Amino acid sequence: MFLAIVPAYNEEKRISSVIQSLFQCVDEIVVVDDCSTDKTAEVAKKAGARVLRHKINLGQGAALETGHVYARERGAEFILHFDGDGQLSVEDISPAFEQLKTSGADIILGSRFLDTRSQVPWFKRTVLLPVGVLINKFFTGLKLTDAHNGFRILNARALDKIRITQDRMAHATEIISLIKKYNLKHVEFPVKVVYHEYGQRSMAGFRILKDLVFGKFMK
Amino acid sequence: MLVLFQLLVVLFALFAILSVLSKKKEGLLGFKGTIFWILFWVGIGVVAVWPNTIQNLADRFGIGRGVDLAFYISIALLFFLIFKMNVKIEGLKRDLSRLTREDSLRDLDK
Repeated sequence: MFLAIVPAYNEEKRISSVIQSLFQCVDEIVVVDDCSTDKTAEVAKKAGARVLRHKINLGQGAALETGHVYARERGAEFILHFDGDGQLSVEDISPAFEQLKTSGADIILGSRFLDTRSQVPWFKRTVLLPVGVLINKFFTGLKLTDAHNGFRILNARALDKIRITQDRMAHATEIISLIKKYNLKHVEFPVKVVYHEYGQRSMAGFRILKDLVFGKFMK
Repeated sequence: MLVLFQLLVVLFALFAILSVLSKKKEGLLGFKGTIFWILFWVGIGVVAVWPNTIQNLADRFGIGRGVDLAFYISIALLFFLIFKMNVKIEGLKRDLSRLTREDSLRDLDK
């Protein structure tokens, strides 16, 4: 079974179309509503997704891990991480899934920088993301072309090993460090990202850094 | 004036010790924590009544002034307590995440 995990927070306007398009590629969709204040959960349910609702806003990392727990209970063979804001493209899923199977990789990581389809804002492309890539390299030992891309496909082995403890945005770096720790075979795959808004603000980077540094002192 | 200051510090230390004992009785403080805080406030009282003790201690450690020793100890203690509190808060956050997660899985599709 190929299961999509869609973390969502206040996405009532876009979640329905994301779910409808995802059904062309996966067998089941679970939306993890991270305590939205709008009708995200109701809209997602109406669109045909299973819905898990956090009663407290925990963050995207926590929402993904909730999806992981559900996927393990369901015995999913493959899972897809896909953002609920409609910025990722479903056309990338099938070729990425094929790549995962043919390459024998445990995890596919989406990258905006392996082709030219993504119109990444200038400051983000030339300053923030290169810094993010370096920080990831420092904390994880792996150098990838992109940092904090929400598109990933995991097989059952990766799903079993990757247990996210970083509740907020530092989970993206934590996932890479778990890939390194468990020696999971990973492949980067070009994906298209369409920006509706700027995305995370620059200050969010400092928060991620703080979470990563402090996370080093925790189990 | 000094006597009044000493009296106030001793009274405050006594009040703090009583508060520590009451927290222990309520089960909010463990044995080690209780001993630590009682010794801490006794130490504050002793230094207030006999200020020379801290100077003698400073001399033994080769630190010039008693007040400098008190300053170094305070800073070290504060950093240690902040670290302990951060670890505690992080643990509570993880418990909260776990409970929220379990709750969401229990209430699936409700």
